[in-house]
Amino acid sequence: MSLHDQDDPALRKAQEERLRAVWEAPKGLFFRWTDVNNNRVGNWYVVTAFGFMLFAGVLALIMRTQLAVPDNDLVSANTFNQLFTLHGSTMMFLFAVPMFEAVSIILLPQLLAARDLPFPRLSAFGYWSFLIGGVFVSGSIFFNAAPDGGWFMYPPLTTRTDLSGLGADIWMLGLSFIEVSSVAAAVELIVGVLKCRPPGMRLNLMPLYAWYILVVAVMILFAFPPLIAGDILFELERLLNWPFFDAERGGDPLLWQHLFWIFGHPEVYIVFLPSIALFAMLVPTFAQRHLLGYPWIVLAAVGTAFLSFGLWVHHMFATGLPNISLAFFSAASEAVAIPTAVQIFVLIGTLWAGRVVWSTPLLYAVGSLAIFVIGGLTGVMVAIAPFDWQAHDTYFIVAHLHYVLIGGTLLPLFGGLYYYWPLVTGKKLSDRMGRTAFWIMFAGANLTFFPMHLSGMFGMPRRVFTYPAELGIGGLNLMSTVGAYAFALGVLIVCIDLFRSPWRQKAGRNPWNAGTLEWLVTPENENWGVRSVPLIESRYPIWDQPDFVKKVDEGRFFLPDAEEGRRESIITTVLDSRPIAVIRLGTPSVLPMLTAIALGSVFILTTYHLYMAALVGAVATLGFVVAWLWTGTGEIPEKPEKPIGHGITLPLYISGSSSPGWWAMFITMMADATAFSGLVFGYFFYWTIHPEFPPSGPGLNGPGLFWPMVALGLAAAGWAATIGAREVNARGGTGAARLLLAIGIVASMAGIAAGLAGPWTSDLVPEQHVYPAIVWTLAIWTSAHSGVAAIMQSYTLARSVTGRLTPTYDAELRNISVYMHFMLLTAAVTYLTIGLFPVLA
Amino acid sequence: MLTLLSGCNERQSMFATFGLTAERVAALTIFMVVAGALIFIAVMALSRHAIRAPENAISHTQGMRMVLWLGGIVPAVSLLALLIASLPLMRPLPVTAADLVVAVEGEQFWWRVRYPGPNGGAPVETANQIRVPVGQTVELRLTGADVVHSFWVPGLAGKMDMIPGRENRLVVRATEAGKYRGQCTEFCGLSHALMAFDVVAMEPAAFNRWLAAEARPAATQAAPGAALFEQYGCAACHAVRGTAAVARIGPDLTHFGARATAAAGILPMERQAVARFIRDAGDVKPGARMPTYAHMSAADSLQIADWLIGLRPTETRP
Amino acid sequence: MKLTWGQRVREARVTLWTLIVPPTVWAVHFLTCYLWVAISCAKAGAFPRYPWAFVAGTVAALAIIVASGVIAWIQSRRPGDPPPHDKGTDNDRLRFLAVSTMLLAALSFVGVVFTAVPAVMLTDCR
Repeated sequence: MSLHDQDDPALRKAQEERLRAVWEAPKGLFFRWTDVNNNRVGNWYVVTAFGFMLFAGVLALIMRTQLAVPDNDLVSANTFNQLFTLHGSTMMFLFAVPMFEAVSIILLPQLLAARDLPFPRLSAFGYWSFLIGGVFVSGSIFFNAAPDGGWFMYPPLTTRTDLSGLGADIWMLGLSFIEVSSVAAAVELIVGVLKCRPPGMRLNLMPLYAWYILVVAVMILFAFPPLIAGDILFELERLLNWPFFDAERGGDPLLWQHLFWIFGHPEVYIVFLPSIALFAMLVPTFAQRHLLGYPWIVLAAVGTAFLSFGLWVHHMFATGLPNISLAFFSAASEAVAIPTAVQIFVLIGTLWAGRVVWSTPLLYAVGSLAIFVIGGLTGVMVAIAPFDWQAHDTYFIVAHLHYVLIGGTLLPLFGGLYYYWPLVTGKKLSDRMGRTAFWIMFAGANLTFFPMHLSGMFGMPRRVFTYPAELGIGGLNLMSTVGAYAFALGVLIVCIDLFRSPWRQKAGRNPWNAGTLEWLVTPENENWGVRSVPLIESRYPIWDQPDFVKKVDEGRFFLPDAEEGRRESIITTVLDSRPIAVIRLGTPSVLPMLTAIALGSVFILTTYHLYMAALVGAVATLGFVVAWLWTGTGEIPEKPEKPIGHGITLPLYISGSSSPGWWAMFITMMADATAFSGLVFGYFFYWTIHPEFPPSGPGLNGPGLFWPMVALGLAAAGWAATIGAREVNARGGTGAARLLLAIGIVASMAGIAAGLAGPWTSDLVPEQHVYPAIVWTLAIWTSAHSGVAAIMQSYTLARSVTGRLTPTYDAELRNISVYMHFMLLTAAVTYLTIGLFPVLA
Repeated sequence: MLTLLSGCNERQSMFATFGLTAERVAALTIFMVVAGALIFIAVMALSRHAIRAPENAISHTQGMRMVLWLGGIVPAVSLLALLIASLPLMRPLPVTAADLVVAVEGEQFWWRVRYPGPNGGAPVETANQIRVPVGQTVELRLTGADVVHSFWVPGLAGKMDMIPGRENRLVVRATEAGKYRGQCTEFCGLSHALMAFDVVAMEPAAFNRWLAAEARPAATQAAPGAALFEQYGCAACHAVRGTAAVARIGPDLTHFGARATAAAGILPMERQAVARFIRDAGDVKPGARMPTYAHMSAADSLQIADWLIGLRPTETRP
Repeated sequence: MKLTWGQRVREARVTLWTLIVPPTVWAVHFLTCYLWVAISCAKAGAFPRYPWAFVAGTVAALAIIVASGVIAWIQSRRPGDPPPHDKGTDNDRLRFLAVSTMLLAALSFVGVVFTAVPAVMLTDCR
């Protein structure tokens, strides 16, 4: 198709009709909820996360009311402990992280001029999981059963069933479920940024928000799994009495603290970096110039991501670890301030060099920077261990973290709300109300949290439901309470502004005169995203590329049509974004929702110890996942390739290391390997704290060398069979490939038995001591992976037998090969550790 | 405002110092606060200037140079300097074998305290108050009996966690005699807020006299309260040295009356308050192990309270 | 044809993987320092016996970081327009990644120095 064809209005109209039909959202009371399009799912996600934020805010108001005066008894200690636990957990797990993912789900396809994310059904699954888990966790407070051990859930307070109730299980299992969905969203966002950019959008032209999404999603990938590993140990202790954190049986409460904070500190940057990302989008718009120092932002984002994983022990400065250990973390905690400073000065420099157009979003950006800088400076203070020994777990920290989170997450999000509301609804919010709300929130935040620095230094610990008058901090606390209500008033004004939006006029297209791709969106906001996928030659194409918007709208770029009636998106290369394939995207389906419900039931039923029912849920989950994959992925296209315009023809099928599916598997397995390394860390952590490890005695001797080595051999056989199947299949040996896959299945199944045989035959008693418990855990983890390997091999075999996998179309085989590489690695580490290490030690 | 407000609290504030480490940290804190305030003002002034500046007030190169210096080099150098200045404060005070060792164990929601016996005698156990000699190094050995607690006397030194299965050491040296307060700072359950203790820094001679007196059995005489104490089974959990009560589940009550406060720093040492706690500990302190004595009459509880408050070593009796 | 080192460096291509070499070196150095001290203090009850290994490890880490910074610097000086490297060309993409790598190398260098300071100033397990 030449440019000429697009001159014909009738053709354009026909194309638009086809696109509209293909991208039409499902209708009907129920079926509208089966939508998977990023616009709709993103909006649900944002609204839900916003709702959880308001809920957690109300909890905070109750707490502030209780603390308004000394020795108050408005709420009981029991209620108060539930309040602060749920406030922190909700804000972190149900607001900050999901909100980042929600905003990214809306924005990313727009930023990349993609029609949707690479795995739309996965976004829908993530949303439903989030909703179910979130309601389950936060709803518990209405039954007086909310978790009450603090958002950090330190054992043994939370693992001893005589000291903590159902709330701990609700926290652990409900939030584990949400963590899984967060990791799923992270996988999708990473693949989206790396593989779904428009042609020509090389790495140096990527919108900075996309850079931040990439960095933050990678951080989620490495930060959440250690917590998932911790959750597993935690629930094994609570449900099965395996003593991971029980000092009397060789466990150690500190292991939980390590695993929790390896997650917990990167988490801070996971929720902060997206705000800088929003600034990096809106500051150039309101400075009306390119962002100054693009590589510096990339430096800062990547640098922060790395450094943030070297900070976790600064939450453990008071745990009595050797001071030299603490000092390493103190040093890294100081160093992380450098990239943060770079980001702030890049923004200041951009405003300095540009022509500033004052606006409500910019007011939020600048105001939140002011608050954030205070939080950052107190952060430098608490990174100094001797000061932290005083400040730790006092209201000084409460002040510090709220300055960081309000300046670094909440107010920027409100700024982003005012900036991007026209993108989502086509309408602007009220400038007057926005500014009023800003100043009230700004004053409220400072009035609430500034006095807390003082009350902390004057002796007020955190997480106290009351305090005695003799501490002399009543006045400071009253100020904080007044400020909290003021802040709530500001939030209320924003909410009123939002509610009035439906009665407002549509604003024009690109109302802020921005230069980046997301503003291609029209006020009508078609589901198809962009009319045609543009060729990108600049960081700010709307500003810099001549007639850019017109060309996009007239379908003069790529893929302006949906001839085959399919949802399609272009796949490009990672570095230079050269188009390599067109993929067909998932369409509305009830399967993601059903899978989320089934998986949710596993977690929820386990909370109530209904194990048989949970098992049914697990089987149902597996069934839904297989159905989803079987019907929705790896489809062999009706023709090998199609033209996308400008004489470019792209294949309709892609497999191997340049396909999104392969990347998704690779990234998922990185997360899986990280969780596994958390468990292995546990094994060696116990080795360091025990003079004799492994211990000896009845129930402690095992698992021996024989069975672990057999299991390792079987894992290697399963790996070799699968890789062999991939290779012979590619050479046309379909029959041989099937045979090898069948051998692989047998090896994997035998691997399950051999993996468990070691601890089983040596009578390791996991309730007795932490050593058998951790050995069993590693063996079960690896055997479960063997089981998944067997399922994957069977699935692939079935695909091959039914003709859905051929020598040309072999994505499943290439994807499970990635899994098998990681499987072999996991088996090697596990069986060498549990089998060989006791011999060496 | 700082001086105004800190004047309200001279017992539990990191600025009302009476220990060597706390003094050093307070000085460091004031330095960091001042430096932080100056940096904040500078950044805000620069932002204001940047926003008001006309277009192209700085070139791309000038802007990048600013980022390099203000965002990179200046922070790197000053943070390194701060780190180097703070590291010496991380070295614990030196201890010798002759220094006093006090064992403190956190339990839900009180503190078990053990001193070495005077002249090599049996260890002296007490609860919810800590006495230290001024000018001498004291090593506190901190443990957690049930869950994680944290030992914090802001005027004396930074805090240190008390973790089941671990023994942490906190070395302190008091510099000024006086009465202070400490509190648990790691969330430890329902009554985490109600887990405090008294700290008394004393001249060494007075401390030695106190310890010798504390080591003696309780100066108890036959009183109605003593009989009721036995009758209600209080001895099942508590010890009063010199009587038949020797259990170690709850706090040692040997010289109970000599402590400044009752129920781990939350009640005044006065008969009504103590009696209320005896009858309904769970009401005063939710989650406390001590059972509720719903059937105990008010008169009985007052009798027991009177007897307990009367338990003081002879030296410290008024 | 045999390439000289200079040619190899000029021919080398920065990618997303080489971008993270300097911070990865920082991470490895950091973890090694921490784990070595932690394990030594926990298992042997004493500060590591070979303090010179800290020096050697730190020097090695710094050397790798400097090397990747220098390679990136050389690549960033490929002929072309001055920053901000925002053209859709091979050259600009390469120079952008090179500049980013160089900046990350600088940050990682500072990070390693920060990590090394405690090992110099505190040398016991208390």
